Amino acid sequence: MKPSLITEHSFGEAYAKRLGVAPWRGNLPGPKVEEWRFTPLRSLAKIVFAPADDVDVDAVPRTVPVIPGAARLVLVNGAYRKELSDANLGKGVEFSQGKVAAKEGSSLIALNAAYAPESLALHVTGAAKKIIHIISIGAAGAAPTALHPRITVTAEAGAAVTLVESHVGLPGETYFSNPVASITVGEGATVRRYVSVDEDSEAFHLATSLVKVAGGGTYEAFHLGLGGALTRQEVRIALTGENASVRLNGAYALSGTSHHDFTTVMDHVMPSCASSQVFKGVVDGESHGVYQGRIHVARDAQKTDARQVHKALFLSRGPQIDCKPELEIYADDVQCAHGAATGEIDPNHMFYLEARGIDPETARALLVEGFLADAVNEMSDEVVRDIFGVAIGTWLKRRAVGSHA
Amino acid sequence: MALLEIKNLYASVAGKEILKGITLKLQPGEVHAIMGPNGTGKSTLSNVIAGRDGYEVTKGEVLLDGEDVLAMAADERARAGIFLAFQYPVEIPGVTTSAFLKTALNAKRRQEGKPEIDAMEFLKLVKAKTAQLGMPYDMIKRALNVGFSGGEKKRAEVLQMTMLEPRVAILDETDSGLDIDALRVVSEGVNSLRSPDRAFLVITHYQRLLDYIVPDHVHVLAHGRIVASGGKELALELEAEGYAKYLNAAA
Repeated sequence: MKPSLITEHSFGEAYAKRLGVAPWRGNLPGPKVEEWRFTPLRSLAKIVFAPADDVDVDAVPRTVPVIPGAARLVLVNGAYRKELSDANLGKGVEFSQGKVAAKEGSSLIALNAAYAPESLALHVTGAAKKIIHIISIGAAGAAPTALHPRITVTAEAGAAVTLVESHVGLPGETYFSNPVASITVGEGATVRRYVSVDEDSEAFHLATSLVKVAGGGTYEAFHLGLGGALTRQEVRIALTGENASVRLNGAYALSGTSHHDFTTVMDHVMPSCASSQVFKGVVDGESHGVYQGRIHVARDAQKTDARQVHKALFLSRGPQIDCKPELEIYADDVQCAHGAATGEIDPNHMFYLEARGIDPETARALLVEGFLADAVNEMSDEVVRDIFGVAIGTWLKRRAVGSHA
Repeated sequence: MALLEIKNLYASVAGKEILKGITLKLQPGEVHAIMGPNGTGKSTLSNVIAGRDGYEVTKGEVLLDGEDVLAMAADERARAGIFLAFQYPVEIPGVTTSAFLKTALNAKRRQEGKPEIDAMEFLKLVKAKTAQLGMPYDMIKRALNVGFSGGEKKRAEVLQMTMLEPRVAILDETDSGLDIDALRVVSEGVNSLRSPDRAFLVITHYQRLLDYIVPDHVHVLAHGRIVASGGKELALELEAEGYAKYLNAAA
């Protein structure tokens, strides 16, 4: 038995029997697996999860924003729910459900493949008129529940689509969401993807995104992390054709004992591609934020332009931040830059706002929103940007950030 | 009753006594100038009145309409009507000038029991005020003071003052870093706010600003005390003769 893996967990025989499928015999990554060093899964492994039962969910939670004119695809415990959805996707996009093919990959991907009900597949053939809003709802029954949403997006050459994902849950028993998204951006295609993770405060969320961007393709993503007991958003992107372009940005706001991990891998395989990453986080209480960003530039990927920055703002002295940028560069004619910084709210900024009559709590909220704005403003869709901005504002009010004067 | 009354004010910074018994009365409608060389406590005085952390008042009082200013937090002082135009306005990335102005204006309106200003009304107000100060309206979309030139920053301070309509405005070295044109615009902005129920405390090193903002009273601050007071002609005398005689007398 390897000490670096968690082999005793509750995703084995009994779980498979309930579903009537072959059991997953994998292991969860342990604390000695380098990529999981800052995000221990011991607490997750201890919980006995049952498959998601058909819990009665008759409406999308009101915390999920309504995006004007968007189509809605709703998953409850990973399974597509037609009656909650508005699947009129408009021109340029088709959607289908299919079996998830067992695939090589990380243990979490394999776990997802073993137990995912069906994948939600979007096929983008032209310039999509509507925003596609995918809503994943975690709803535990009487026992802790695991869900394995699977989303596949294929954008054909020259196609374009904007996706929004809202990951939320219902209060109650704990649940574990293990979503996997596979996204293929064809030649000259554009995929914009805006993901909001605002799970229930007891929930686990370990998401993996696998993205391939072909020559001349554009992938723009923003990931927001606001809730959940333990959340990880892992994004692995390969730029596989010349002149592909990626903008991957994110923000998180943590309080209490929340743990949030952004892990990104940017793999520059071909020449003349550009990638940029702006990640910003605010941490309060006893929370823990993690950013691990690896940029890999292959020997052939000359003229690569790859940038990455992570900045965190401490709202109190209790939280912890771990930041690990990694640059592996094998080409010689490249521009790569990374930056990292942590800080606190500047008392001079506070005084300036207070001297204009703004109370300390409101002043702090303004400054926190301002701090996150660098990342949030990277979103090119203004409607979604505003919606995410409101979500951050709501978080600030909910957590009464002003209590740490 | 004086609008702002400072009574025998003593204050120290990090244990060092900077203000050593300042007494000053500002009647409604008056403009008082405080002049003095660097390091005599001019900025300490403005920061103490505005309520910045790190200044310890060891003795004395500051009263606004008879109310104890020193007992209020900085934001309460501002809502009560004290406005400090900063010598060095800070740059705050990510916070748009517009969001900031709106928040500040609404804080004041709430205090006065008025509803929040609606978006259209706010834009109309900003348009009028920026035009009056010769500022491009678009600047309110920019992050607060970020990348503003010295002149733009001071103009932005006056814009805020114009919108918040304070009872007492303290101008801390508003002339520093301004060329003549900017100085004129800023001064015109200030002068347009002069009114029978508002008072100004203009803190400056040079007489130049007082050519534009003509004071009713001029005070010389040296070694933490007011060592001379007079009319506007005192400023001219200082310009001609310097501060030496006051510094020596006070030492």
